[in-house]
Amino acid sequence: MSRFDADAIVVGAGPAGSCAALALARAGKNVILVERGPFAGSKNMYGGVVYPRILDELVPNWWETAPVQRWVVRRSTMILADDNAFTIDYRTPSWGRPPYNGATAYRPDFDHWLSRQAVAAGATLVTSTTVTGLLRDPAGRVNGVRTDRPDGDLSAPIVIACDGVNSFLAKEAGLYTATDAANFTVGVKETLALPRSVIEERFGVRDDHGVDIEILGGTSGVNGGGFIYTNLETVSLGVVLKLPKLTAQSKRPEEIIAGLKRHPAIAPLIEGATVQEYSAHVIPEAGLSMMPTMVTDGMLVAGDAAALCLAAGIWLEGVNFAMASGMYAGRAAAAAIDQGDVSAKGLAGYTKLLEESFVLADHRKLKDIPGLVLSDRVQQKYPGFVTSVIERVFRVDNPNPKPGLRRIVREERKRAGIKLGDLLRDGWKGMRGFG
Amino acid sequence: MIAVCLKWVQPHGAADDRFAGISAADQSALELALRTAEARGDEVLAVTVGPVGAERALRDALACGATRAVRIATEPGVSSLRTATALAAEVDAADVVWCGDYSADRGSGSVPAFLAARLGIDQALGLIDIEINGNGSHIRAVRRLDGGRREVLSVTGRAVLSVEGSTARLRRAPLRSVITADAASITVRPLESPDISAADLVPYRPRARVLPAPASANALDRVRALTDTGAAPSRTETVVLEPAAAARRILDALRDWGYLT
Repeated sequence: MSRFDADAIVVGAGPAGSCAALALARAGKNVILVERGPFAGSKNMYGGVVYPRILDELVPNWWETAPVQRWVVRRSTMILADDNAFTIDYRTPSWGRPPYNGATAYRPDFDHWLSRQAVAAGATLVTSTTVTGLLRDPAGRVNGVRTDRPDGDLSAPIVIACDGVNSFLAKEAGLYTATDAANFTVGVKETLALPRSVIEERFGVRDDHGVDIEILGGTSGVNGGGFIYTNLETVSLGVVLKLPKLTAQSKRPEEIIAGLKRHPAIAPLIEGATVQEYSAHVIPEAGLSMMPTMVTDGMLVAGDAAALCLAAGIWLEGVNFAMASGMYAGRAAAAAIDQGDVSAKGLAGYTKLLEESFVLADHRKLKDIPGLVLSDRVQQKYPGFVTSVIERVFRVDNPNPKPGLRRIVREERKRAGIKLGDLLRDGWKGMRGFG
Repeated sequence: MIAVCLKWVQPHGAADDRFAGISAADQSALELALRTAEARGDEVLAVTVGPVGAERALRDALACGATRAVRIATEPGVSSLRTATALAAEVDAADVVWCGDYSADRGSGSVPAFLAARLGIDQALGLIDIEINGNGSHIRAVRRLDGGRREVLSVTGRAVLSVEGSTARLRRAPLRSVITADAASITVRPLESPDISAADLVPYRPRARVLPAPASANALDRVRALTDTGAAPSRTETVVLEPAAAARRILDALRDWGYLT
């Protein structure tokens, strides 16, 4: 072996890290995957939907072995105002059959499973080990990591940082220009236990089918959103809150969740449930505008560490971006090793793979959406406006005749204090932004 | 040679080994085994009796500095006596055998005692404080007794020592050792000690025998004849005596009842 301990070191055995290690191991490279928890996924609290389509490339028929909770066959978008709600609901049984679409999963299960795929392919997984910094050669190129273990330096020509949101490694490498709290949200989640039959009755699903409900409004006036996901015997319910807005008011996240749970549209769904777990995590939500430089000499960044999280209102995805960017990072790294050039130039293939795939294409297409979705008007004014329009459309106010849709919209818009110009502008931005 | 016995505990059963590991007590035992061996310039043998997943415990031990590792292959749930018998065959050359005082799952704490009996060497169990002298020849061990009392033991010869989880904090394995231990070879042996059959463990019961029917015409007498053990029926008695005579009377009664000899 060369003077290095391995061909590549991957930091963090989340979806990005495990896929990077898997891709490298498949390419015949000697890769060490370093994880701070006692097992992959042990530090994870994510309660959302995983869209593992990209795994078709890495783990054929992944759905036969991947530990999922329920296959999402029903997607609802809920707009909540004070005590009323408007829901758009779509369902299809085809998402509940192979090759499937999205699934709810407990990430300690899912990540553990994915890390075992990397290990089975030949990667070395080192757990309970925290990477504390980067090693560099005299020319300043990254060539290894320092860990918190005794004798803890590991060297390799390439380091792939998959150390999650607020990546210390990407920051240490100078790949982020500045950290702006406005680019982050905090996701707060309760895991609520209910009997399986109760979940299936209340959410109208059977077998291993499940529901994904995304919520606009209901966050006590703090810009953000809510979510409900069904697992087999629990329901994940929570809110995502924009950091500066959260700190600018006095309510704590758990009070905001409590408020959401009390909403008449939500309360019957979770009545009688017991809280099994409360957890919180920071999410990089600003999309393209906050992304770091992905490549430097001897180092790549993937997953949340590279802010590859899509929070575009109707699309809330991250794990798929992590898995894909990890896979591409692994492939680009393997190619760079084969070419004998691990400089930023030799690793540029990574950026190209990201550009050519959905990873950056989706982010480019939807670059204005995260900002729009979390903007004050969309958050504070539109939910009440929409639900009151719907209320008046459906209310039968005899003997008065029906007012007509245009009149309702005009009156409710004025009552909500929304300028017509702003509404048209936001509408246009949304139409253009959603592509 | 110094030996340490490690028990693989699977709190979520065999299907999920993510939370499996060795108990805090076993971690202390491993650390103390390493310290003893370092003081003596000796090697450490780590042994476990368990399924293939238990090799992770052995790899951790190797990463921390154990010299050799042996797994005696079995499924979980083997009796303490059988476990101890299997361990004894493996560690019979050891000068000191370190064990955790009891595991986090079944926790009967009986393996170390059985092991000492099988090896025919001394035992000091449930230790709460350990001091190993400079060259490792003398171990001062403190044992917990009832009522908050302590027993201080001096261990110089061969012995099985079982420790509580608070006695020592297991060192962190160096990174390179973790990586080498991942591929290190582990000796696997089949569990050869015979299982102890349930019949062997039944308490002694005399065989049933035929008795002639009691002769008496009175039913109570016949029952007494069949069931009477010959012990005097207990009775309450009030006597008024001089102090000296009273004391003698009490002593006599205690002697009769078997409390004094």
